[in-house]
Amino acid sequence: MRRVLGISLFSLALCACVTINVYFPAAEAREAAREFVENVIGDEAAPAPAATPPGGGGMASRQLRFDPWMLLGIGSAQAQSSPDITIRTPAIQAIQSRMESRFSAMRPHFDSGALGFAGDGTVVVRDASKLAIKDRVAVNAAVADDNRDRKAVYREIAVANGHPEWESQIRDVFARQWIASARPGWWYQQGGAWKQK
Amino acid sequence: MPWRILTLLLLLLVLAAGPAPARTATARIDAIDAAGVALRDVRVRLYWPSDATQGELRIEAARIDAPALGYRFADVRWQCPLARPQADAWRCEGPLQGQGGAPLRLAVDLSPASTDALLAGGDARLALHRNAASPDATQLQLTRVPMLWAQALLANAWAGGRLAAGTMDGAVTLHTPGDRPLQLDGHLALAGLGLESDDGSIALGDVDGAVRLDLRMPDDSGMLLSLAGEVERGEALFGNAYLALGGTPVEFGIDARQLPGGGWSAPRIEWRDADALDARGSAELDAEGGLRALAIEVRSDALAALPDRYLSGWLGLAGLSGLALDGAAAAQLRVEGGRIEAMDLRLEGVGIRDPRERFRIDGLAGELRHTAVGVVDSELRWRGGALYELDFGPIRLPLRSQSGTLQLREAVTLDMLGGQLQLDNFSLTPPREDSGLRVDFGLALDALDVGQLASAFGWPEFRGTLGGRIPSARYADERLDFDGGLSVHLFDGRIDVGALSMERPFGVAPTLSADLSLHDLDLMDITGAFDFGSISGRLHGRIDGLRLVDWTATAFDAELHTEPRRGMRQRISQRAVQDISSVGDASFVGSLQGQLIGLFDDFGYRRIGIGCRLANEVCAMSGLHSAGAGFTIVEGTGVPRLQVVGFNRNVDWPTLLERLAAVAAGDVAPVVD
Repeated sequence: MRRVLGISLFSLALCACVTINVYFPAAEAREAAREFVENVIGDEAAPAPAATPPGGGGMASRQLRFDPWMLLGIGSAQAQSSPDITIRTPAIQAIQSRMESRFSAMRPHFDSGALGFAGDGTVVVRDASKLAIKDRVAVNAAVADDNRDRKAVYREIAVANGHPEWESQIRDVFARQWIASARPGWWYQQGGAWKQK
Repeated sequence: MPWRILTLLLLLLVLAAGPAPARTATARIDAIDAAGVALRDVRVRLYWPSDATQGELRIEAARIDAPALGYRFADVRWQCPLARPQADAWRCEGPLQGQGGAPLRLAVDLSPASTDALLAGGDARLALHRNAASPDATQLQLTRVPMLWAQALLANAWAGGRLAAGTMDGAVTLHTPGDRPLQLDGHLALAGLGLESDDGSIALGDVDGAVRLDLRMPDDSGMLLSLAGEVERGEALFGNAYLALGGTPVEFGIDARQLPGGGWSAPRIEWRDADALDARGSAELDAEGGLRALAIEVRSDALAALPDRYLSGWLGLAGLSGLALDGAAAAQLRVEGGRIEAMDLRLEGVGIRDPRERFRIDGLAGELRHTAVGVVDSELRWRGGALYELDFGPIRLPLRSQSGTLQLREAVTLDMLGGQLQLDNFSLTPPREDSGLRVDFGLALDALDVGQLASAFGWPEFRGTLGGRIPSARYADERLDFDGGLSVHLFDGRIDVGALSMERPFGVAPTLSADLSLHDLDLMDITGAFDFGSISGRLHGRIDGLRLVDWTATAFDAELHTEPRRGMRQRISQRAVQDISSVGDASFVGSLQGQLIGLFDDFGYRRIGIGCRLANEVCAMSGLHSAGAGFTIVEGTGVPRLQVVGFNRNVDWPTLLERLAAVAAGDVAPVVD
């Protein structure tokens, strides 16, 4: 009986694998997004410390699994990736400073309601009629440039943190942060409809 | 046009009442319909004191509609002193007020021979003249008339259009024959025209120009419009297309017909902008302003003018603002149902230059033909160009357009970096509604000179060749993936490049990923190239997960080590030892006393091994094996026996790069314990 138990434990140990729990560090991502976005938007209008809308916390998908090692009294190796989200790579910093200088040119158009934050972390021209024709071309180009930069930032943050698959979650976190950091009077998209902050 | 009706009405009244001492005549008319204008609930009152030379006329209309021209007024009131300058002639001038309108003055002169009216507001004058001999033609003379007065006319033709600014000068004749459609013709000079569509997608601003127009409004079909004229200057926006005109005037002409259910058909469109652009063709728009069909021939003998005058909107969106073009081009384009059916582009001596110097093409010529159905062949060639810092030579591209994709009919060869690059199985699928641009191709590299590549990117002077074959590569979703591998023959050994891919190759922060494996490289050559002292031996290893962002390394997992080779001495020079220690923050331990190092020129070694795992700007260093708190980088042999041990396991990557640069510059301060 003892032997049988021993063998079965042994075979259990053989096929047991180390569980690697990689969860999306939602809180850290929010903090990184807040830092990035506030840097880009700047503090021209004394930002209220941006209260991120609740609901982001649900992103952390902690996997709970039965771990056969526990039967042997061995805790699973919690090979957890570093919970920090870094945005301090040269590429991301370069994009951030470019977006910062571009944003100061786009700010008046957020104020006027010509531009708004879309729900997917991009900028869109909401109401072109608020722009002079000549501005419209420049603003269209700036919006296209900015959205290319944003796309690259979301991708690079995911990759720089070793998890390219986080790209869409990072984008969601940023999308919420752009809206959270938007100044009063600016427009944002929620569930397809435009709202004014 | 209330004044026309008012003159008629005045006549009516005068005929009915006639001048008589001290009497008041009033009339109330439910409806008057004449020449496309309808008045409802009209009240007329004429008071003529006894023995006075003039009376007081007051006319009110609850509504005035001119449906054909789109005008609609409510609560219109005109009050004026009525005088009789001569027998059979009448004159009345006074304020005209309508609901919500700016104050205007209307003057009317009536005589048996003619009718004249002058409507004035601010510095705007609209004069009307009609001869009794030709009652069907009414002449209008416009002087600084605001565009807004034509808003209703525009709304009739285009419901979503709003005139915003500008004035008109000129003469227009309105023909209202009973048996033929209403017709408006004449010429107008426009100044500062501003126009905008409701959704902001179409806009004109500050347009100065002149136009001859002929507008007919048959009762049984849509209106017919013929315009010809020139644009002196101005800007226009059509979706993403932005036109900035000025300098040379542009001549244009258009014949158009309104289709039942909205929409327009324009069988003739002409646009002549000197050498910059000459276009002629036909188009059909649906009721929403969408392009249903287009057949157009375009020619430009001076492409250099196109980016500023016509292309800046598109180029800005594509991130190519400031793109420079020169040469000449002609194109034929046919769009049906919103889809490009056929395109034929002919180029002569075209140069394309990216302002950020990402690419350049010189002497592009030939023909590019595309068809949505069937097969059509064409050929393009260029004289040369550059991709980033890499110059390339001439090419001939035999193209085939087949079922919407563009292919190469045969493999083509391009001279590049002293070697050759062969492109085959090339296929380009233009962006569609549900998918972006996709390009597939095979690539073979033959003996490309690594030395030229290195000097183009400012790397140390390497000598070697790059070759290999990538049977299939594809570009889609801003990602370039290569199957297969390349081999670089370098330093008497070989570096294999696998898992090669690029993200955003021409976009923001271009990224290159690859796995490299190093085979049997001659260390003496390497240390010579990098000016890193001298080490004899053979280097092996791998650099996995290499990721360059903006051509700067941001991540990799590298492990490099020496392997002994029969007959090869393994020696390391004193200078190399110092360089390794200064870069790796290492110390010398073992049998050799640090201060003795200066007594020897070189040392024998058994193994050298170093590893770096770069992530988040930190290089996690490792060596051959652990040595106490550190790791061994150089394991010596013989006498004196040398051992180099690194202690700093986590090294700041920018600092490491600085040290490497200092080593390369010969600016080293050895740290010797």
